[in-house]
Amino acid sequence: MPSATPSNVTASIRVKVLFFGRLKEIAGGAEEIVELTSGSRIEELFATFVARQPEFASYRRSVVASRNQEFAAWSTPLDSGDEIAFLPPVSGG
Amino acid sequence: MPTAASADLILLVQKTIDADALVRHVRTGADGAIVTFDGCVRNQSHGRRTLYLEYEAYESMALAKMHEIAADVHAKFPIDRVAIAHRLGRLEIGETSVYIAISAPHRAAAFEACRFAIDTLKRSVPIWKKEYFEDGAVWADGELPPIPQDTQTRKSAS
Repeated sequence: MPSATPSNVTASIRVKVLFFGRLKEIAGGAEEIVELTSGSRIEELFATFVARQPEFASYRRSVVASRNQEFAAWSTPLDSGDEIAFLPPVSGG
Repeated sequence: MPTAASADLILLVQKTIDADALVRHVRTGADGAIVTFDGCVRNQSHGRRTLYLEYEAYESMALAKMHEIAADVHAKFPIDRVAIAHRLGRLEIGETSVYIAISAPHRAAAFEACRFAIDTLKRSVPIWKKEYFEDGAVWADGELPPIPQDTQTRKSAS
C-alpha cells in the first residue's frame, strides 16, 4: 500500500476477476471480486494473486489479460466495475 | 451482393454440433461454393492415448471474438455467409469440437476464408481444452493471443 494521503483516505476500486484453465485450479475458483487502490493496473492486480499464492508467479509470462472482454496490456489501468480475466494460452479448435 | 454480417451464425454449444444446420444456414442461391471445416477429437496427443477432452470457454468473450472473426472474414474475402460453432464440455474421440461453414459465389474465396477463420479461431478465441489420458490430465499446449501495445512481444508459452 502507498503511504496514506494527507486526507487519510485511500480511494479504492472493485473489479471482478475471472480465471480459466490451470489458473482456475490454482485460484480455487472461477471468479472473485477484488478491491484495489485507485489507479492500479492489471500488473498490480496479478501481483496480489502472486502474493497470496506464489505459484501464480510462474504463469506470469504465459498468460494474457483481458479487460471487459478485450485483450489488454499489463499496463492497462483499472476502473471500478471492470471485468478482468487472466487467460492461459488458448487451445480451442 | 455480399451478405450483412447479421446473416452469420455464431454459436457455442454444449451438445453435438448440428453440422447440417450450419451448412443449410450459409447456403443461398447466390453461392457457387460452400467450404466446411470439421475439427474433431483425435485419439492421441504427442504419442499418448487420449481418452476424452473437456473444453471450457470464457463464453462472453469467446462469442465476441468469434463474431470478430466473421467480420474479418467478410472484410478480407468476397464471401457470402459464415457459420461457426464450437462445442464445450466433454467430448469423446471422433466427435466434432468446432465446425465452420462458409459460402461464396466462387470457391477460391470460400477455401481461403475457411482457412483464415479456423487459424484465427485457434489463436485468438478464449477456449481451452483439457486432455484426459489413462494416467492423468493436462491442459493442452496453446497459443498466446497477441496483446496490444505491451513492451514485450512473446509467442507461445514454453
